Amino acid sequence: MNHQSRPFLDPKVLARLAGIPLFARHPMQGTVSGRHQSPHRGSSVEFAEYREYVPGDDLRRMDWRAFGRCDRYYIKEFEADTNLRCCLVLDTSGSMDFGSRGVTKIEYARRIAGAIGYLAVLQGDAIGLTCIAGGVVRNIPPRRNPAHLSAVFDVLQAARPRGQTQLPQALHELAETVRQRALVVIISDLFVDPEEVRGCFEHLRFRKHDVAVFHLLDPLELDFDFRRPMRFVDLEGGTSIFAEPSAIAERYLTAVRGYLERLKQIVLESAVDYHRVTLSDDYEQVLARFLTGRTRRRGAR
Amino acid sequence: MTFLHPILLAGLALTVLPIVIHLINQLRYRTIRWGAMMFLLQANRMSRGLARLRQWLILLMRMLAIACLVFVISRPLASGLMGWLTAGEADTTVILLDRSPSMLDSSGGRSKLVAARQQLADALARFSSKRWVLIESASPKPRELESPAALERLPEAGPTSAAADLPAMLAAARDYIVANQAGRTEVWICSDLRANDWNSDDARWSKLRSSFAGLPQPVHFHLLAYSQPPQGDLAVRVTTVRHRKLGDAAELLVTLRLTRQAGSGDAVTVPVQFEIGGARSALNVELAGTSVEVRDHRIALDRQHLRGWGRVSIPADTNAADNDFYFAFDTSQGAHAITVSDDREVAEALRLTASIAPDPNGACTADILSADQQTSIEWGKAALVLWHAPLPKGDTARELAAFVGRGGQVIFFPPRQPNEREAFGVRWGSWTPVKDDAVIDRWRGDEDLLAKTQSGEDLPIGKLKLTNVCSLVGDATPLATLQDGVPVLARTSTSGGGAYFCTTTPAANDSNLAGEGVVLYVAIQRALAAGAAALGSARQVIAGGNLSEDATAWQRLAGNEGALSSEYGVQAGAYSSGGVLLAVNRPEEEDIAGVLGDERVAGLFEGLDFTRIDQAASSERSLVEELWRPFLMAMMVALLVEAWLCLPRPTKETMTLARPETGPFVFG
Repeated sequence: MNHQSRPFLDPKVLARLAGIPLFARHPMQGTVSGRHQSPHRGSSVEFAEYREYVPGDDLRRMDWRAFGRCDRYYIKEFEADTNLRCCLVLDTSGSMDFGSRGVTKIEYARRIAGAIGYLAVLQGDAIGLTCIAGGVVRNIPPRRNPAHLSAVFDVLQAARPRGQTQLPQALHELAETVRQRALVVIISDLFVDPEEVRGCFEHLRFRKHDVAVFHLLDPLELDFDFRRPMRFVDLEGGTSIFAEPSAIAERYLTAVRGYLERLKQIVLESAVDYHRVTLSDDYEQVLARFLTGRTRRRGAR
Repeated sequence: MTFLHPILLAGLALTVLPIVIHLINQLRYRTIRWGAMMFLLQANRMSRGLARLRQWLILLMRMLAIACLVFVISRPLASGLMGWLTAGEADTTVILLDRSPSMLDSSGGRSKLVAARQQLADALARFSSKRWVLIESASPKPRELESPAALERLPEAGPTSAAADLPAMLAAARDYIVANQAGRTEVWICSDLRANDWNSDDARWSKLRSSFAGLPQPVHFHLLAYSQPPQGDLAVRVTTVRHRKLGDAAELLVTLRLTRQAGSGDAVTVPVQFEIGGARSALNVELAGTSVEVRDHRIALDRQHLRGWGRVSIPADTNAADNDFYFAFDTSQGAHAITVSDDREVAEALRLTASIAPDPNGACTADILSADQQTSIEWGKAALVLWHAPLPKGDTARELAAFVGRGGQVIFFPPRQPNEREAFGVRWGSWTPVKDDAVIDRWRGDEDLLAKTQSGEDLPIGKLKLTNVCSLVGDATPLATLQDGVPVLARTSTSGGGAYFCTTTPAANDSNLAGEGVVLYVAIQRALAAGAAALGSARQVIAGGNLSEDATAWQRLAGNEGALSSEYGVQAGAYSSGGVLLAVNRPEEEDIAGVLGDERVAGLFEGLDFTRIDQAASSERSLVEELWRPFLMAMMVALLVEAWLCLPRPTKETMTLARPETGPFVFG
């Protein structure tokens, strides 16, 4: 484990969160044994099912008691536990540089991504990072050794928000390039057309990935609480808009409201683990809700 | 509309204040680096027109509120259409006041004159002007006023019996403007638009229009018109008064006429009261149509009562100015004519014609003077001069002109040897014989010396045969002409009496005027009567007419007791002056209620800056009223609308969005 000081990591928070395991909501295909459910049968202590013997099966798994009762050969199968491949997708477009409460979205995203990466590696899961702006800016494939985590932290720390958002294209590309099932954690403000986001989510789900989304929004973006004329300069390099807030607030809030409603509908339909996060929220609480929610699902299997 | 404090209208510039504040506010913008541009762009696309309209309306309401506030503190005055033209301070305001008897019509409860003075004083008091000038109809001389309020207390603005002469009043106004080099001038004309007062056919109007249009300073005309016709007004007028002796008694034969406005169809009985020398008598007169004449109503007099004045009255009605009529009579002295001729035949014929009074009890005298004695003419005694001699010159000519100017009558007959001298713009030409069949073809039978008789019959002019006529050179109005247009009798225009030119003589070799003496007799007696009426010891004077003497020296015998002595000449009544009795009455035209049409009035002021305000005498509404209340209401409405437009419109969804829920919506 790299003990280099990272500004986006709070050891106390990590220590408190370390007690909560990170589970995937769907079976994962890991390379080693781990905490997560595998789609294959394995050698864990948890009974899975009986299967009729076929030649070539390991005779050590033959259930002789069942043979004695029904004079048939059955193989006793157990659940396999494997490790997790966690792909952190970080939006580094220009809009992530906004923050009205002293912390920008990118900083907030670093804290979430850093904490999840730390917790994943801590429990033996592989962690990777993909930075997205106009396309895939940086991509680190998932690995599970601590040295790799340090490299991920370095990239996180070096990530600078700039350029336009091409999140849908990048997510589609990611869905195709990540071969095995993985936990895909998207941290973004999702300032794109919700219909395009729907396509991305469905693509990822089609590829059996477990998709979690942290939707970062600033309180000012939600309240639009301005008292004087403003010139809004696009962080992503687009055109500037001069507006009288009192004249435009109502329509702005209507637009935001419509966008959130559509997004809510999309995440419900595409079974995405969606978390709307306001930058005024404590990220520890956000992560705690994220982790504990997955713990409950795991227990319900 | 005008304002009591027009200077405060400069505050209207403050109406741009909301725009300035808006622009300043725009300049005070903050720049923010913003991520959620997609929502801003979307908001810009949504209902942009309505939102912008709302903003414009808010701005408009704010400007309107400020404008209304400025109007309120400027104290606007509502004065109809004319108000827009009277904004600002005038250099000179000229008031032309019609004081004619018709302005005393009180059909609306108060007389038009009183209403005009009050409304005008009230209205003009709210305007500012450096000079206030009154030109009233009785004496069209400009009179400067301290303030418009003086109109209500000035005796010279009261009613008179004289007709107005609007062209003369306007000419006086023009002369005043020119003489005083006035700046922007407002001319207010108060009148009831009587045709006889306006003389709309007078040639002076075109000259007035051109002269006013040519003035360098702007002149605005405002006509305050009280053109409502009188209701139920009766007028009485005495046309002739004759004194007749009957043995030991005497009587006065009074011919009078009652008139009323057309449309008053019901027959009424009018009690007419006569007052002569303190004795009163009454007569009921049935009036069925618009006019009735009572001829030779007899009023018994004492035989010794040869001279006096009288008054005919009818009950009070809507116009008190035409309910009385004064007359004077004097039979102690007859009318005197003077014949100036060297031709004995002509002189005798003329003397005889002039000395026979039409009334057996009347007294007419006539003297004959030769041309050499013309300097000894007693001008103060004569009423008619029959001049059959070369036209006068020098002092005689001047005295003759003065005689005519006082109302005397003169008839010129051509001498045998005409000279080159002129009299009243006319001189004799040469004698020419007349063809045998030449007769008088045309003559004026409606008025003047050859008018029809009282019974309506023409004079026997057709029986006249002329042998020689003398041509006339100069400008004269023919009263009778031959077939070839040669005038036989003509009249020149004078300021007072009549000056006639007869182009033949009563001599037998010139005409049969003496032989067929009816025409000559009637003409000379009419001229003598007219001269006697004007210059005799009992004179009928038309109020406002030319007076040969100073009216202030008169003594009032009857009439308006409140009248100023300087206005005796324009106030109906009976007066005495140096042994002469004068009965002053309104002109006959005042009894005829002819009102100028709107188009005619507009035509008189064509090309000038003219505004007409029709006002009723009964109206208590001022010409100008303060209008601040509507503006205050408008300001309040504007502020309320602005407040309503500015109200935020919170919705349930908006409130929810302001506190968005945080956390997962779904878990697999």
